[in-house]
Amino acid sequence: MDTKIIFEKNTNHYNENCITKMDVITKDLSEIIPASLIRKELPIPNVPEVEIVRHYINLSNRNYGVDTGMYPLGSCTMKYNPKINEVIARIPGFSQVHPLQEENQGSLRILVELSKLLTEITGMEGFTLQPAAGAHGELVGLLIIKKYFQNKNILKKKIIIPDSAHGTNPASAKMAGFSIIELQSNEHGEVPLDHLEHAMKQGDVAGIMLTNPNTLGVFDRKIKEITKIVHENDGLCYYDGANLNPMLGVCRPGDMGFDIVHLNLHKTFSTPHGGGGPGSGPVGVIEKLIPFLPEPCLISNKDGMICGERKATSIGRIKAFWGNFGIILRAYSYILALGAKGLSKVGRVSVLNANYLRYKLKKRYHLPYDRTCKHEFVLSDKGIPNDVTTEDIAKRILDYGMYAPTIYFPLIVNGALMIEPTETETKNNLDRFVDILLKIYDEAKENPEILKKAPHNTPIGRLDAVLAARTPKLRE
Amino acid sequence: MDFIPHDDKTINEMLKELGLKELDDLFDDIPKDLLENQLNIPPGLSEPDLLDKLKKISRENKMYQSSFLGAGIYYHYIPSLVDFVISRSEFYTAYTPYQAEASQGFLQAIYEYQSIISRLTEMDVSNASMYDGSTALAEAAIMSTILTNKNIVIIMEGVHPEYIEVVKTYCWGQNIELRIVSQDDLMNNLSEEIASVMIQSPNFFGDIEDVAEISKNIKNSAPNCIIVQLMTDPTCLGVLKPPGLIDVDIFVAEGQSFGINPSFGGPGLGIFTTKQKFLRKIPGRLVGKTKELNGEREGFILTLQAREQHIRREKASSNICTNEALCALSALIYLLSLGSYGLREIATQNIQKTHYLKEKLALIPGYKILNTKPTYNEFLLKCPDIDKLIKECKINDLLPPLRISNYYPNMKNVLLVCVTETNSKDSLDKFLEIASKFKENIMGDS
Repeated sequence: MDTKIIFEKNTNHYNENCITKMDVITKDLSEIIPASLIRKELPIPNVPEVEIVRHYINLSNRNYGVDTGMYPLGSCTMKYNPKINEVIARIPGFSQVHPLQEENQGSLRILVELSKLLTEITGMEGFTLQPAAGAHGELVGLLIIKKYFQNKNILKKKIIIPDSAHGTNPASAKMAGFSIIELQSNEHGEVPLDHLEHAMKQGDVAGIMLTNPNTLGVFDRKIKEITKIVHENDGLCYYDGANLNPMLGVCRPGDMGFDIVHLNLHKTFSTPHGGGGPGSGPVGVIEKLIPFLPEPCLISNKDGMICGERKATSIGRIKAFWGNFGIILRAYSYILALGAKGLSKVGRVSVLNANYLRYKLKKRYHLPYDRTCKHEFVLSDKGIPNDVTTEDIAKRILDYGMYAPTIYFPLIVNGALMIEPTETETKNNLDRFVDILLKIYDEAKENPEILKKAPHNTPIGRLDAVLAARTPKLRE
Repeated sequence: MDFIPHDDKTINEMLKELGLKELDDLFDDIPKDLLENQLNIPPGLSEPDLLDKLKKISRENKMYQSSFLGAGIYYHYIPSLVDFVISRSEFYTAYTPYQAEASQGFLQAIYEYQSIISRLTEMDVSNASMYDGSTALAEAAIMSTILTNKNIVIIMEGVHPEYIEVVKTYCWGQNIELRIVSQDDLMNNLSEEIASVMIQSPNFFGDIEDVAEISKNIKNSAPNCIIVQLMTDPTCLGVLKPPGLIDVDIFVAEGQSFGINPSFGGPGLGIFTTKQKFLRKIPGRLVGKTKELNGEREGFILTLQAREQHIRREKASSNICTNEALCALSALIYLLSLGSYGLREIATQNIQKTHYLKEKLALIPGYKILNTKPTYNEFLLKCPDIDKLIKECKINDLLPPLRISNYYPNMKNVLLVCVTETNSKDSLDKFLEIASKFKENIMGDS
């Protein structure tokens, strides 16, 4: 297959296809702009249209998406992306609207309506749709916590994060100026109440960041006690919504006692991941935190939907304009399509599928936290024969034409294989995934070399990550 | 509707294998009083009903034949190729390419994006993208404090006002001191304590700044100060001197102009580039070229991940994780569709058409162009009667320019006018005709 990079296909041919004919009288450019501000060379290639098309169609054939097959990547909720949402996002009355134009009630209606729906789904009382991704939402949530205490003139410098948390949690906390108290999970993968209470008693602790179900896929049964302890010690509870999928229509973060929630519309609400983005990370809060939400805040009254007055308590702006509207629109469509019944089926079936895989795989693989899981579960590399590693297994899965689970995360499980099937997979696909993993286990026993050198059937063999980092080659 | 393939029979079969009776048994570890009975959300809709409803809502927005509005989001022609390529679902339904061997297509495309952006800007390296221009600028501010170990950042008044607000929020989060400074006051504010100076050019008001000259002056009095340049419409790089040739240390931009629909302001594309020597502190993902472990073929992989949050946690250079990969792909296809000749032509048309309108407007009594420096595709226009002009634009199916007083309440009767290659001569002449209609009213409050 042709694996040249696009720059090698430069023909230096001027492609005029996309240029309108100049229809005003022109002047010499240097009469308008001084020559010292004008560039001489423009080193980007000129490739004939047909060659651009072929190049990227060929590249797409070397890429795996949810539309290619099952994508059991833990904590990423790789569910099917409904095609109707793509059609809706391309309606010109949405896609061609300028964020600063005055006749914008349709777009504002989408923002207001989605905020209401998310409020109901999470049990919060106010929402901002501004954040562009989950980590961006985390930052916003933490800045809200910071502002809340600043406004009360209370100095709070620390935040509690369990060792099972997503890596973004501590990084976001740092960006909001907090230092981190890492809390070790107990033998059930849950937050130990006595340690939590001890940490909260330090006095300058702003609260806790938690995901529930956590990254082991288990629901923290003491959640009400956890949020109570934090509240009793004048802290706030932050819910990392990356794992909200199994809770849809089942149990709401607000009812668990959380004060702030971020969601990943690109996980739970079916918007495509786009190979790494764009996403959207709305943040919901309880009533007393509404004054701290970022600008602009929308209100709806008899004149329609308008921006509310600027509030001195707001954390300020966190992104230009209104958020990732194109993504917000897709999530809105998804929720309307499913309705209450559909949403609660999502939560329930995602949990059924994960438990089905857990049940079948634990017969062969080590499952360190063995209880009913929610949307995902985590296997370890314990007992895998012949020094075969988690990475070897992941690469071998690719050989069987499926994507691999999340590996080496969470950090509290050795050689973790984190598996999340989502609700949109058929039983056949789940069975096939089980067969592949069982077969790989046998291969580890009988023919470990084939795993250690995997993958064999992908467009390229296992790549040298160390070489890439030691001598970075990041461009042509 | 839902997108769950199991029927009741399959669900029961699976439950039976698990030794369970009903789906709710999977949740018996959740305290009973936390279980939700029924969300207060309307029943689901079929595809046609959904489409009908959303189309109806979209009609509450107004669409225009031609636009004079920019201010951070621009109407440029988008080649058909762009949507064609990003609609390939092998690309748009993929996750971040953690498993490189099954993701060579997207990884190579992002490598090509990094390459084309580096070439366009003449900067050494580009990352794989940020959320948008405003957050890219905020991350540049933070990066400059890490690079210099200093805590004061200067942002010039000509930066987009919403961007300034975003940078303010990020700086407050990290206790970085932010000073908003006019060009006249810049030199007085410089000292060894300054981490960076952030300049937008062309700036929010349309002026093309002489960044090379400003940068030289800054480095004379503060040699270690990081120079950050921002652009909100980088199509101008088809003609204007790139940041890499004028000693800019970090260059960021909003890349929406590169083949991305306005879409009410998002998603856009945060372009982030820097010098080779600052590579290890750059935020966000990077794709690198490498080789097979057991072979000679070259391939692509996410690299230098030691900077990133999933490994470094609180020691990471940023918390960014999801970025705007698909928008980066749009930008790549846009730039390739035009090629160097096409991009130069687009930039030239923006300049020529803007100049045409500026010259003619200046001849109408009562109108004044406020810019004294050269401009790219935006300029400030003082008008005799701004309300009538805006109203008449709308009646004539023209999306009117921005009232600058939305951001700067003291600047009354001033419009920020934007002209791109999508404005035909007819639309420009129409705008001139409307402007002439209200020239008599110069006795008002101009």
